[in-house]
Amino acid sequence: MNSLAFLAAVNLVIWVGLFAYLWRIDRRISRRERER
Amino acid sequence: MKILKLLLLPAMGATIAGAFLWPEPAAGFLGESSRIVFFHVPCAWTASLAFLVAAGYSAAVLVRGKAWHDDLAASAVRVGLLFAALALVTGSLFAKIMWGSYWNWDPRESSFLLLLFLYAAYLFLRTAIEDPARRRRIAAAYALFAAVLMPFLVFVAPRVTQSLHPQTVINPEGRVLMDTPTKTVFFASLATFTGLFLWFLSLDARSARLQREGTSPAGNAEGARRVAVI
Repeated sequence: MNSLAFLAAVNLVIWVGLFAYLWRIDRRISRRERER
Repeated sequence: MKILKLLLLPAMGATIAGAFLWPEPAAGFLGESSRIVFFHVPCAWTASLAFLVAAGYSAAVLVRGKAWHDDLAASAVRVGLLFAALALVTGSLFAKIMWGSYWNWDPRESSFLLLLFLYAAYLFLRTAIEDPARRRRIAAAYALFAAVLMPFLVFVAPRVTQSLHPQTVINPEGRVLMDTPTKTVFFASLATFTGLFLWFLSLDARSARLQREGTSPAGNAEGARRVAVI
C-alpha cells in the first residue's frame, strides 16, 4: 500500500468514527427533545 | 433530514478517497502538498459561511428578539471558529512544506487570524453579560459589526500587498484554474463540508436550546457540557 492510500485509509477511519459519534449525539438530543 | 445526514457518510468518504487518490498533484507545488486544497479551502469557506449565517440570525434576533435565533447565531459562531482554526492549522502545515515555516506573517494568514480573534471576542462578550435579553441584543449587534469587517479580512486585506499564498479560486482571471479531476473533488469537498457545517450547527443549537430550557441533552451536567462543545 502506498503512502497516499494509507493516508486516505486513516482519514476514512477518522471520518467514520466522527460520523458515528455525531449520529449518537443527534439521537440523544432528539430523544431529549421528544421528552420535553 | 435523516437521509441527508446519512448521505454525508458516503459523500465525505468519496471526497477523502478522491482527494488522496484521484487528481495528479498540481504543478508548482512540492510533493503532494497541493492536495491540502481539498480540506484547507473548504474549512475557510465553511468558516466564512458560518459567520454570514451568524449575521443573518443576529439580524433576526434584533428584529424579532427570539432566543432560538440567538442560539443559532451563537452556534454558527462556535462552529465557524472551529472551521477557521482548522483552516489555519491546515494552512500552517502547507506553509511549513512550501515555505519552510509554519507561520510567515503572510497577509492572508494574518487577516484570517484577525478574523478568528474577532469572532472569539464574540464568545467572550456573551459570557460577560448575565441578563439573557441584554446578552442577545448586544451579541447580535456585535455579530453584525463583525460581519461588516469579515469580507474585508477575507477578500480585501490579503490582496492589498504581495502574498506568498497561491492564487485563490476567486482570481483576476475570473475562472477556476484547475483540471477536471481536481475541480470535481474540490467542489464535492465544498458541498460535503457545507453539509457537515449544517449538521454541526443543528446539533450545537439544539443542544444550547435544551440547556437554556433546563433539559440537559445528556441527562446530567457533565454530559451537557460535553455535548455543548460539539
